Amino acid sequence: MRPLDGVRVLDFTWVVAGPVATRILADLGADVIKVERRGATDFGDRRGGLSGTLMRGKRSVVLDLNRPRGLDLARRLVALSDVVIDNFSARVMSNLGLDYEELRRLKPDVVCVRMTGFGLTGPHRDHVSYGPTLQALTGYTLLMGEPGGPPAGFGYSYSDLAGGNLGALAVLAALWHRRRTGCGQLVDLAQLEAVASVVGPALLARALDGGTSTPTGNASQEAPGAPHGVYPCAGDERWLAITVFTDEDWGRFAHALGDPEWTRAERFATRTGRLEHAAELDRLVATWSRDRVAEQAMAVLQGAGVAAGVVANAEDLCARDPQLAARGHFVEVPTPEGRTVRIDGPPFLLSETPARVGGPGPLLGEHTEEVLGELLGLASEEIAELRAAGAAG
Amino acid sequence: MAGALAGLRVLDLTDQQGALAGKLLADLGADVVLVEPPGGGPLRTIPPFWQGLPDPERSLFFWFYGTSKRGITLDIARSSGAALLRRLAAEADVLLESAPPGRLAALGCGPEALRAVNPRLVIASITPFGQRGPYRDWRASDTVAEAMGGMLLVNGHRGRPPLRALGLQAYHQAGVFAAVGVLGALFARERTGRGQDVDVSLQAAVAGALEHVPGLWHQAGTVAARQGTLHWTRYFRVGRCRDGWVMHCTVGDWTSLVEWVKADGVAADLGDPAWEDVRHRAAGAEHLFDVLDAWAARYTVAELVEGAQLRRIPYAAVRPPEGLLRDPQLAERGFFVPIEHPELGATVPYPGPPFRLTATPWRISRRPPRLGEHNGEVYGEVGITAAELSTLRAQGIV
Repeated sequence: MRPLDGVRVLDFTWVVAGPVATRILADLGADVIKVERRGATDFGDRRGGLSGTLMRGKRSVVLDLNRPRGLDLARRLVALSDVVIDNFSARVMSNLGLDYEELRRLKPDVVCVRMTGFGLTGPHRDHVSYGPTLQALTGYTLLMGEPGGPPAGFGYSYSDLAGGNLGALAVLAALWHRRRTGCGQLVDLAQLEAVASVVGPALLARALDGGTSTPTGNASQEAPGAPHGVYPCAGDERWLAITVFTDEDWGRFAHALGDPEWTRAERFATRTGRLEHAAELDRLVATWSRDRVAEQAMAVLQGAGVAAGVVANAEDLCARDPQLAARGHFVEVPTPEGRTVRIDGPPFLLSETPARVGGPGPLLGEHTEEVLGELLGLASEEIAELRAAGAAG
Repeated sequence: MAGALAGLRVLDLTDQQGALAGKLLADLGADVVLVEPPGGGPLRTIPPFWQGLPDPERSLFFWFYGTSKRGITLDIARSSGAALLRRLAAEADVLLESAPPGRLAALGCGPEALRAVNPRLVIASITPFGQRGPYRDWRASDTVAEAMGGMLLVNGHRGRPPLRALGLQAYHQAGVFAAVGVLGALFARERTGRGQDVDVSLQAAVAGALEHVPGLWHQAGTVAARQGTLHWTRYFRVGRCRDGWVMHCTVGDWTSLVEWVKADGVAADLGDPAWEDVRHRAAGAEHLFDVLDAWAARYTVAELVEGAQLRRIPYAAVRPPEGLLRDPQLAERGFFVPIEHPELGATVPYPGPPFRLTATPWRISRRPPRLGEHNGEVYGEVGITAAELSTLRAQGIV
């Protein structure tokens, strides 16, 4: 048993943010039916890896929504769905005649989640965006950089993940309300707002003080402390993240290093002193870390009770980390073709009714016949005819 | 109007690692009671402070995560405090905690003890590495969790150190996944009648907020590297306008973009039909962005973004977070929500909703609680009299 057994999600999402939201619903047991079109780009193999991780456990139906008969099939599926979700810009679903008012006529208690870039209202509602442009607008790109240096930002579309994961929460909250009251509703998720909502206390501080934010490299954004940051280790691109906040942390850190002379300097004895001399401290910590194997240095520090961790690359994460392996974070999933693909699983573990990867990513249109047959009761000949007419694929 | 989660009772024992989970549930309408030690929780000590004055009631860090929560104090390290927590848990739907694994159990408040008094209780634990596995007792900060979860290595410029995120994104992802897991467990409870444990690891939450890093490894054994502002897909890079930075994008309406650059007379070879293929644009990204950089330098950021959006090309300003305060879109939608802090004579503009449930709106129902502000109210609800409460106070339990 899984928590969302019996919940059907009609999923018009594409690219990354929307599929991130619906993959969590699939992990929780929902029947997620992905409505796709021919000719959309994928990130390679749809079964596993990047695409497979986005589409894990979903079914794929190909419909041409620009043809009346394709659109009619979509509308009939809406009538059988608990949740309808998309991440197009605001006007697309309206242009298709699939805005919330219309969906509600087809399914009165539907939960309709619109994950647009900027929201369904406001002067920029028709602006277009992608993850990287949203994280630029919300401050991440400019503020992730070295002090006085140029912007760097995320190397990927963190916005899509942050917005997508919050999208799953939005669906669950609306479904919870529906379970209590029988009422569906429209959810207006502006990815700009979703991503802005997790900037955190720094944004509240600017709202109050009207001040100017500047990049602070790897300085702590929680309790102030030093040393705090990433330090080079032996080898190419090997780094260790280290965090020292309190004097107790500092004592344990110094002891783990074997109490070298420099750790006994008066100016490092207090948190204030360490923060004042953070740059010098960083150089000294690097003299210790530089010739050490990152994993070994991590184990030495953690053994002494100091927060420290290898700056994991893809191989560390997926093939070497014993902790993620023990949690079963990455899973091997069989495909109908007899292959085995690797897919990321849900990061939260439920003890009694676990969320889990329900299957590999679907091939494009793999379930067209199954869904139109099972749910809409169409005969094989009718489906073949719809395919020949280009309404389904 | 009641929130979507109205009627749910949540006890929140988390520190900063899990504080967002309770905020998400509280702003959606759940009754979230923050349980702090009598001296105050760690968030209250974290700067910045209102008007720069360090004080447990003035931490903006605490304020951000404390919205819509009620607050009580309780020393669960003492046996009568632990007994009181069990009494509170008997009436709750959800308990959120972020103590080192095993600590609550050692105090008599582990899952078994709590379920003995309330089999329907959902318990969500947010810890650095989760409740089991070889690293379960290891420590982390947000930065260490970002590092070990694979987020950090791919941020930053080549030849320079990797960079942590803006904001505590390991904690935030863990908070979102904890809220998701809690709701999943509550849906399951509707059928089974029983609560369950939700085990969230900061490291795994970060891994669950990655894009290409694991995917490209799984499918091709590729180890993704840092490449400055060039996005891994090679369709985005930061460029410089006359007065600031802009995010270029080569996957919008390419024809319109090229027509515009051509009209300005600086298109170089961009008119070559080969560039119409997005894969060719990815392969030649460095050259493409160099040409676009030279073009963008003629414009201000506002001119360039406005012109691009008119042509449906997804360009954006690269601006500091405070740019959101002056954003006309957010202003029109009322993103920042003014909340009164009457004892300070202040109105505080809180960042607003992650999403808008139109029938059951997200809402900050109260300003963050003062230390122990709701002791009388909350303990009264579980049948503790005023006399008992003053004894507990005298003993330092509350």
